[in-house]
Amino acid sequence: MIEKEPSICEEENYNQLFRKYYESVTKYIYYKCGSLEQAEDIVQNAFVKLWQLCATISFSKAKSYIYKACNNLFLNEVKHQKVVLKHQQTVVKKTNNESPEFLIEVDEFRSKLKNAINQLSVKEREVFLLSRVEQKTYKEIAEITGLTVKAIERRMSKALRELRDALGGEIRI
Amino acid sequence: MVENYDTDDTFLARWLGGTLSEEERLSFEKTDVYKQLRIINRESQLLEGPIIDVDAALKIVKQKINTKKQKPKVIRLWYAVTAAAIIIVSLSMFLNASKTYTTGIGEKMSVTLEDGSVIDLNANSSLSHKRFFWTANKEVNFTGEGYFTITKSKGFSVNTSKGKVEVLGTVFNIKDRTHFELKCYEGKINFVSNKTSPDSYILTKGMQIKIEDKEIKEDTFVEQRPDWKTGVSKFVEQPLSKVLEELTHIYPITFQMNTIDANRIFTGSFKHNNLNDALQTTLTPMGVTYQKASNGNVIILSE
Repeated sequence: MIEKEPSICEEENYNQLFRKYYESVTKYIYYKCGSLEQAEDIVQNAFVKLWQLCATISFSKAKSYIYKACNNLFLNEVKHQKVVLKHQQTVVKKTNNESPEFLIEVDEFRSKLKNAINQLSVKEREVFLLSRVEQKTYKEIAEITGLTVKAIERRMSKALRELRDALGGEIRI
Repeated sequence: MVENYDTDDTFLARWLGGTLSEEERLSFEKTDVYKQLRIINRESQLLEGPIIDVDAALKIVKQKINTKKQKPKVIRLWYAVTAAAIIIVSLSMFLNASKTYTTGIGEKMSVTLEDGSVIDLNANSSLSHKRFFWTANKEVNFTGEGYFTITKSKGFSVNTSKGKVEVLGTVFNIKDRTHFELKCYEGKINFVSNKTSPDSYILTKGMQIKIEDKEIKEDTFVEQRPDWKTGVSKFVEQPLSKVLEELTHIYPITFQMNTIDANRIFTGSFKHNNLNDALQTTLTPMGVTYQKASNGNVIILSE
């Protein structure tokens, strides 16, 4: 006999899925739309829908359903607005803002970096941030976005080229 | 010199992913682009994502769920399941529907089945069979008394309270009342008792079995057709109780026994067409006086 998958209609199982995926999918949407409030709203609505469809979605398909549903909601709801990422840089290596690497102050460089990331297209930005900030592999990003690894690598390379174009001039060689 | 990172659109990604060849990597690390991207990469990895409160979000989602209709899909699924179940049940009920013929007290009826078999029902008897596809499995359920003239064919059987009568083109009489009596008038039948260890009896013309107090007796008889078919009930050395029981099947009466000894033996007969005659021919010779109660249906017996 085939072992039965846990039912998403069981609250316990549903909560488990929620805790497992809510944070990562919210970040993913946030990197697309740039508004945490909006991202949370989108992801929460997708989870409400998951509950309503709990009888028709198998436990193992829940992850891909959530990512797909969020992406669709994002495409429907978000008019591609310019993103304002509010990353915090908690790691401060040097108390002194001078660095021999940069032609400008470290703080200024970092602010320019954020700016440059914000200027990337949605496609490149989501891949770049999932890779660099969330430390996801290209394979994982490919699964999330439903693209091939090759396509992810292309987007990543393009993002890096654009960031170098924007910031290369500030770095001492 | 054209650099790899310009011509190869996955080169930089593969550099970060650590999948460049040794040769590619070493030559790339000599470039200015490498020196710049190394720092951009390092600085990018210092960035942090937003802080997300999962528990708070779960609470919000639960609220959103509760304000919307709960589990509408599940309900719809249940509708579908229920509807399917109703269809299946009613279809099987339709296909398993049975046709029942019943005779009341004093009534007789002749039933002709699909295969041409004729069953004459004596009073207070019932015959039922499947309404559809009966010929695929010619089984009938029977209680009371009936005279069966079965068209020669395979697999006809009659279920009674005492067992199953299996038939192969024959004529027989079943009496399944307080006592059970099976008589074969033509051909051959097989009686399978439904006791825990089923006994099987083959009856041919002139043979009968009786079941009284769970005991099965084999016997023979000579008459050509059951008496009741001619509108008479005959008894040869039978206890009065049997006679009284038979009377209640033919006439709409009940007996109030009082102190009457119902074990006394009776030999004789009564006709099915006149209650007063029947009472007189059975009770008077036995020395039993009888009296109709005011409503006419209760017969009060006394010595």
